[in-house]
Amino acid sequence: MKTAKGDVEPLEEPFSEALQEAQKQRLRAAWKTPTGWRYWSAVNNTEVGVWYTATAFGFFLFGGLLALVMRVQLAVPDNTLLDANTYDQFFTLHGSVMMFLFAVPVFEAFSIMVLPEMLGARDLPFPRLSSYGFWCYLIGGVFVCGSLFFGQAPMGGWFMYPPLTTQYTEGYGVDIWLLGLSFIEVASIAAAVELIVGVLKCRPPGMRINLIPLYSWYILVVAAMILFAFPPLIAGDILLEVERAFDWPFFDPERGGDPLLWQHLFWIFGHPEVYIVFLPSIALVAMIVPTFAKTPMVGYGWVVLAAVGTGFLSFGLWIHHMFTTGLPGVSLALFSAASEAIAIPTGVQLFCFIATLLVGRVKMKVPMLFVLGGFSTFIIGGLTGVMVALVPFDLQAHDSYFVVGHLHSVLIGGTIFPIIGAAYYFFPLIGGKHLSEKLGRLSFWLMFVGFNVTFVPMHLTGLLGMPRRVFTYPEELGLGALNMASTVGAFILGLGVLVFVIDVFRPKKNQPYAKRNPWGAGTLEWLAPMPDEAWGVRSIPEIDSRYPLWDQPNFVRDVDEGRFYLPDAEEGLRETLVTSPVDAQPIQCLRVAGPTWLAMIAAIFTGGLFIFSTFHMYTPALISGALAFVTVVRWLWTGTAVIPEKKEKHVGLGLTLPLYRSGPKSVGWWGMLIMMLGDMTAFLALIFGYFFYWTADTDFVTADTPALDTLWPAVGAAAIVGSWLATYAAKRLNRRTAAGFYGAIAVALGLGALGSWALLRAPGALDPTAHVYPAMVWLLFGWSALHAIVGVIMQLYCLARRIARRMDGEHDIDIVNVTLYWHFVLVTVVITTAVLLGFPRLL
Amino acid sequence: MTGCGWACISGCDGPQSALAAAGRDAERIAELFWWMGAGALLVWGAVMLSAVYAARSEKEHDPKLASRFIVGGGVVFPTVVLTALLSFGLAMMPDLLAPGAASAPRIRVSGERWWWRVTYDVDGRPVELANELRLPVGERAGLTLVSPDVIHAFWVPSLAGKVDMIPGRENRMALEPTRIGLYRGACAEFCGGAHAMMAFHVEVLERPAFDVWLAEQARPAAPPEGARATEGARVFDVHGCGACHAVRGTHADGTVGPDLTHVGGRHRIAGVLPNDVEGFRRFVRDPAAVKPHAEMPAYATLSDDELDALAHYLDGLR
Amino acid sequence: MIDDTQGPEEETESLWWLTVAPAAWVAHLLASYATVAVWCAKVTDRDGALGDARWMVAAYTAVALALIGWVAVHGFRRHRFGEGVRPHELDTPGDRHRFLGFATFLLAGVSAVATVYVSLVVVFIGSCQ
Repeated sequence: MKTAKGDVEPLEEPFSEALQEAQKQRLRAAWKTPTGWRYWSAVNNTEVGVWYTATAFGFFLFGGLLALVMRVQLAVPDNTLLDANTYDQFFTLHGSVMMFLFAVPVFEAFSIMVLPEMLGARDLPFPRLSSYGFWCYLIGGVFVCGSLFFGQAPMGGWFMYPPLTTQYTEGYGVDIWLLGLSFIEVASIAAAVELIVGVLKCRPPGMRINLIPLYSWYILVVAAMILFAFPPLIAGDILLEVERAFDWPFFDPERGGDPLLWQHLFWIFGHPEVYIVFLPSIALVAMIVPTFAKTPMVGYGWVVLAAVGTGFLSFGLWIHHMFTTGLPGVSLALFSAASEAIAIPTGVQLFCFIATLLVGRVKMKVPMLFVLGGFSTFIIGGLTGVMVALVPFDLQAHDSYFVVGHLHSVLIGGTIFPIIGAAYYFFPLIGGKHLSEKLGRLSFWLMFVGFNVTFVPMHLTGLLGMPRRVFTYPEELGLGALNMASTVGAFILGLGVLVFVIDVFRPKKNQPYAKRNPWGAGTLEWLAPMPDEAWGVRSIPEIDSRYPLWDQPNFVRDVDEGRFYLPDAEEGLRETLVTSPVDAQPIQCLRVAGPTWLAMIAAIFTGGLFIFSTFHMYTPALISGALAFVTVVRWLWTGTAVIPEKKEKHVGLGLTLPLYRSGPKSVGWWGMLIMMLGDMTAFLALIFGYFFYWTADTDFVTADTPALDTLWPAVGAAAIVGSWLATYAAKRLNRRTAAGFYGAIAVALGLGALGSWALLRAPGALDPTAHVYPAMVWLLFGWSALHAIVGVIMQLYCLARRIARRMDGEHDIDIVNVTLYWHFVLVTVVITTAVLLGFPRLL
Repeated sequence: MTGCGWACISGCDGPQSALAAAGRDAERIAELFWWMGAGALLVWGAVMLSAVYAARSEKEHDPKLASRFIVGGGVVFPTVVLTALLSFGLAMMPDLLAPGAASAPRIRVSGERWWWRVTYDVDGRPVELANELRLPVGERAGLTLVSPDVIHAFWVPSLAGKVDMIPGRENRMALEPTRIGLYRGACAEFCGGAHAMMAFHVEVLERPAFDVWLAEQARPAAPPEGARATEGARVFDVHGCGACHAVRGTHADGTVGPDLTHVGGRHRIAGVLPNDVEGFRRFVRDPAAVKPHAEMPAYATLSDDELDALAHYLDGLR
Repeated sequence: MIDDTQGPEEETESLWWLTVAPAAWVAHLLASYATVAVWCAKVTDRDGALGDARWMVAAYTAVALALIGWVAVHGFRRHRFGEGVRPHELDTPGDRHRFLGFATFLLAGVSAVATVYVSLVVVFIGSCQ
């Protein structure tokens, strides 16, 4: 018996039939998907999630085609199908597309689509943010891939090591990579914010932290990883692009720069990235395995350990990509040790899955085939990973085809197989129809055989001396046969994918709808009727178990008859519940946005900012940026922190919840906090760079280095501290009197403006192109000033909101969130000033 | 078990094979690989067997047993194995990272797009050659690795692992060959253009033969022999080849491209073409056809006769 | 069925407990890395000995393991709270409390192993080469 006393029970008696019908009508109206061309203004997770997933899959096919052409080129020695530059563009795009345009987005896309369903929520808390992220992703992705057709694709490898990508590459390729992908990384971070808040704050009542589906544990961990992994890359992108565009010598050794800093920043991102890609797929496995074993997951706690542990450990591995850079052996060894340690949590989850299969009696359907095939493949990758994590072996394996074999085993076994398996598993949730069991088996066996024929020989190819990223190889190396095998295998693998694509696109008009919960799963997403309704869930249930569909009696009936929360949409608005992070106690009825074009328009203008900048067309770029800014302000002004028409609302089962909350109980506050943690990480990456130059290069600061003037940095820092205090005071006073608020915010604005101006003047006469030290000084003060300026704009926004009565003493989300932002400005400015004035001068 | 024993398993041979080890470091790494590979195969087999059994078995096993399976297989076993493996790997490192011996040759290798500038220290005097190293067997030679342009990596799989050549840094490594022979090396870090063709050779000799060779390399070039070669020397001069290339003993003293003083005596031209008259003709006519994006311009304006003479001259520089 | 609704209030519970032990590991790794990097770059040169840097890493290890051990004990106590046993899947404050304790305990375990792994480095390696 899994229920405990004291819990809320569903309504004893159903509503009348007529009332139920009326409720459904109102829900349908509120959640109606726009039709015609307005369809594209939809922001609901079901639509955006499907577009997002489909787009990611499109990029996957594109990346796969690139790989096939590359395999043809490598089939025989001394082949001339592709010349060096074309091949370089192909492998650069293959890696970049698979990582940035497929692997990360597909998990975010899929989570946006399914997570709310799994959590019995109607939507995620920031639907327009998801939509904005999607459009950014689409625009950026098409831009990056399209460059190939103009012969302008990036060709520095997906790792883009300078100085090959600074002085030694002409054309726009590198800029397209840097700006196009940064744009997408921003979208990824936006999605991460959405997912973290979704998991922590939008669970169904009663779904305590020990009951949440394992998928959401993984998503929480992965989204947090994105938050800390992507910003260092964005920091690196900024350094590299600023060097390319304005000649600030961050990576130019002639002027004190150091190419290794890029490698650090890239791999601080790049290694967690592997797990960011891998964990969500394991999360899918964690949903599929219990369903087919017909038993709860064995070792739920162990899986949580594995997810959280892997998340942390993955940040301590980055130098294992740099074992051959000539760093002291002891530094390499520290990261080798960490790399071995991560095998433990990774292994634990695998054993949990096998244990679950042992306990249950397994139905071998297509999704399970892909899961087992994935195990086989992934274990190969894991074991070779343990091998390359040892420094001695990596000295040989690094940058050879051994690593190509290793990484594809991890990524195809750990990611692609589970994803295709999950596609077979979850497909009925999208259109209500099954994919074909027959085609699925065919696709699986083709992919499985193809994978092994392609990638297993590569381990040997590498040890026989084939380096990576070569467009051809001479006959004398004796690698022809192995490479031919890999090429043949790649086409078998490709055929397997083709069968899957055919299965997805074959007409299913005459195929009957799947029955409800077709696999007999236990988790909430399978409440969906076939075909699904746009409202997500008919009423938001009270949860007592990890597998409510298995354990809670009459559960589906109670949900369907609206016997739980929010069975109605009386005001015709889209509503969902916000709950507390640990015990999921309901704390607010949240109104989420309906269809709008603003998100798409904002994405188009943001895209303009990045794309025009790529071609150094700064005037249109600035205009586009300004338009994006205006659109975003309009979006915030009209759609966020809306004061509701009444204070509270009855949400059913005798529960009344507030409609407006600010501070830590609101979702917006969490969104701001999480976004700023990412921002702070990027800043710390830049600070790391400053200290890195000092340790690694003897000429960073010498006796000849021009001294930094103390006056303006000190004025800037003091003014910002003052502005922060005044903002804080404005928040407090706002609750008492309007006059107090206006007075404080005026002081905050004045000091903020003064501080921003002083920070911009702080570098003084230093020439950022002369040496890396002045370049770092400019960059850090510039970063601080930019944050202060944004802070001033936010203060102005709050002032305007108060004047327009969209904010008052009671409804103060705006100023509370802006104060939170200012805490981060304070830390940024104080650290910048302290480091630049104090170090290494005072050492 | 010696590395050599392992390496002789057929199918692992090849001029650039890490498994056909001919150096101390490569032998130890190959041995490590065979042990790890065999262990990995066992682990893979055991885990997959249990996974397939778990999926196929009709029996519903006791959850308690399954818990023990997680603790034993997922925690205890990997922790024990990984601790041993890590300790073993760490213990290997000091030897692999040890610098060259004082008595052994010291060589500076510079990776340049897309060739290798090799400088020996002969009694304190630098002697430069290109795309080729020779080493005395049984001695641990110290290498200094640098790059003036982009990042390259120096890799002779049969002798040792690889080390990057990073602009602005001086990296070092050591090669300790154990077998006489000719080994191929390649650039392992993607460096654009002709990365795939950035090859070189290492010949391992007995110490006396090495000394003779090095003394020859230190000498200036011999004057051209025969009419063709003499004509070729004139062509070399007239077309300004000396602006980029040095031929010690002549007034050609360029330092941009490879030193050609003894180019005819090397194993390959530019590390890739067979070293004969035809090879020189091919390379000079259009270097980019051999090494894409090579910095050296094509000499399409040379007549066939001039080209032939030039090739004879270069071929004679031994 | 056990009466288990009397677990600690949500307000006293924190998800941050899960992160303490792994964060101690991260801090240990970064401190060790910074120490040896600065030592090899500023105190000695590429052929120098690690010397006192080894003892510094040993000291970090002691501190990190002490912290992780304390977290582990704390987690284990919560895991054993009341009378519930694994898999801690009841919809009660008590089981939620035990679950978080159990996960904290396990994470402390893996963090401890990883910390020991990192510290093994200075056992085997004594120079900056």
